[in-house]
Amino acid sequence: MSKKIVSDNSLDEKTLVAKAISRHQLPKTTSLPLSTFIMLAWRNLWRHRRRTIITLLSIALGFGLAVFSIGLQDSGHNNMVRNAINMGDGHITLQHKDFLASPANYRFIDDGKKTLNKLSNTHINGVIAPRITLQVLASTANNSVGIRLQGIDPNTDPLRPLLEKNMIEGHWITTNEKRGLVIGAGMAKKLKVKIGSKIILIAGKKGGETESHLGRVRGIFKSGILELDSYLIMSSLDFTRKFLVAEGADINKEPLTRIAIFLNNEDDIKPVKQTLVKLFSTDDAETEETPSNLAVLDWQDMMPQLVQYIVVDDVSAYIMQIFILLVILFGIINTVLMSILERTREFGLLRALGLKRQYLVLLVFIETLLLSFMAVACGWFVGGSIHWYVAANGIDFSGMIPEGTTFAGTFMDPVIYSELSYSRVIQLTTIVFFTTLISGVYPAIKASRIQPIEALKT
Amino acid sequence: MSLLNIHNISKSYRQGEIEVNALSEINLTFEKGEFAALVGPSGSGKTTLLNLIGGLDTPTSGEIHLNEINLSSLDEQTLSQFRLFQIGFIFQAYNLVPVLSALENVELIMVLQNRHLSERRERAEHYLKLVGLQDLIHRRPSALSGGQQQRVAVARALAAGPGLVLADEPTANLDTENASALLDIMYNLSKEEDTTFIFSTHDVRVMDRAERIIKLEDGYIKTDTISTISSIMNSDQNC
Repeated sequence: MSKKIVSDNSLDEKTLVAKAISRHQLPKTTSLPLSTFIMLAWRNLWRHRRRTIITLLSIALGFGLAVFSIGLQDSGHNNMVRNAINMGDGHITLQHKDFLASPANYRFIDDGKKTLNKLSNTHINGVIAPRITLQVLASTANNSVGIRLQGIDPNTDPLRPLLEKNMIEGHWITTNEKRGLVIGAGMAKKLKVKIGSKIILIAGKKGGETESHLGRVRGIFKSGILELDSYLIMSSLDFTRKFLVAEGADINKEPLTRIAIFLNNEDDIKPVKQTLVKLFSTDDAETEETPSNLAVLDWQDMMPQLVQYIVVDDVSAYIMQIFILLVILFGIINTVLMSILERTREFGLLRALGLKRQYLVLLVFIETLLLSFMAVACGWFVGGSIHWYVAANGIDFSGMIPEGTTFAGTFMDPVIYSELSYSRVIQLTTIVFFTTLISGVYPAIKASRIQPIEALKT
Repeated sequence: MSLLNIHNISKSYRQGEIEVNALSEINLTFEKGEFAALVGPSGSGKTTLLNLIGGLDTPTSGEIHLNEINLSSLDEQTLSQFRLFQIGFIFQAYNLVPVLSALENVELIMVLQNRHLSERRERAEHYLKLVGLQDLIHRRPSALSGGQQQRVAVARALAAGPGLVLADEPTANLDTENASALLDIMYNLSKEEDTTFIFSTHDVRVMDRAERIIKLEDGYIKTDTISTISSIMNSDQNC
């Protein structure tokens, strides 16, 4: 009935198998039937339509929430930075190298005129604003307070349009009024002054002496920003320069304490900074400024506390995003794993029929990949819709943020419009896509371990 | 040259503390075109033997040579490849892929075999026509009756062109008319295409059609006869 197998003992088992396989024309490998797998995976995804839709909806809502919160947060940060730049000293600032670490009125740019000439030759796409910023004591018959005296070109400085529209009394500084001052409403209240009042401005000199000049209030503004309204006094460059002359500066060289550069395009910050660093890195007989006393700083160098605030705020946002991603991750793991467990018998069958283990993994991987594509598409549909709505209409937070509230030396507009940068879109898409894809790893491993004989018993 | 040589195989497994001998010292040879049935009571080792022949399980001892290839010597990948080209399976529960149509189910193995689209379409339609489903090829399993699903499973097993088809209780869920029609189809194909069929069955209708009946009991071969059902029944009475 049964025959004893006769084998050729001169050949080892592997050689015999190889010969036999070759005789029966069994291909050693088969190429991947990708289109069939994609079709199979796609249909498998829609086997339980309701479950897939619920999973996609949960991902889309989670993603939408993430886009909404990130859009608002980025917008808030950008708003704060823009305000800090516009109300402060621009995207890039040139000043004495030691001024940032140790502000003092005697640390100024000696030859402001020629430095400005040199800057104008670089054809920067933006506004160059010469400024003299000093720490002085403002004194009236009623009170004395420490203030920041800001000398500007009253006609061209970018602060003019921002503050002039907020004038509540008097008028903006004019070039005819040599001693004219514009002050904030808070400052006016502290010093108990009104239009036409005199204010004595006293600055300490390097040797310990003081220099004082009389100014007259010509205008009062109310911006709603505490830092501007209560600590700032504006005047012309000519008036403020008197204090620098007292420190030994040559008035003919038009000394300045800083030059604020307001760029038309924020993307130019890095290249312009690099150009300026290079421009002012060598001794230059024309400007007589040496590399050792002029610093080229961007807004991040100028406002490290704001950068720190944004970093800390970003961390809290990232933690929230991690929670959202975890919800997405477990949602998908649940869907894919359930879909695999309920198909154990089917996978066993495919394995029994000759489907290789890695092809089974690939099938699950393609299912997860398709789910990822749909998740990202649905996520962007929901998240994008929310973003576009909030970007167009904004959300009014004035009820939540009291007037005058500042964050890290700057402030946020009460109405926030969602903002998402191109890099943020790429980042969010990548994170959700790979989170979804990673969530397929465990189910794929589970599928690969299915033994056909066990699976077919289920 | 025999198609299948089963040489002294045994299979045991542990069930808790107890060692169960599912099969003991089985020696069998099958030729091309045989239409054979493994019969015996539940637990006699029929399905275990079928699984071993199909390379879905490995024997504790002994060797199975299919087309002169020792199945135990093949690694998992090669064994999968071997099953894909050499063995067809028909299961009691049909086991069709529910998201594929009848045509796609039959084509699936041929897709894995890398057959060209036109060839696999032609073969799939041919075998579906043979089993009488030419008008239902685009229906999914859920839209087919049990008998129709099993016909698709038969077409799937045969379209891949295996030398050996293993069928585990293929008629158990079918009515007499469907079972008889399906057995006719399989019998004719075994003769026309020289395909060996080995059934594991309790079904008298299968036994009646089988040319060879191997009776298993407690993991041993009790009888191996080229016979009809009446001789089996007689041998039972003599035991």
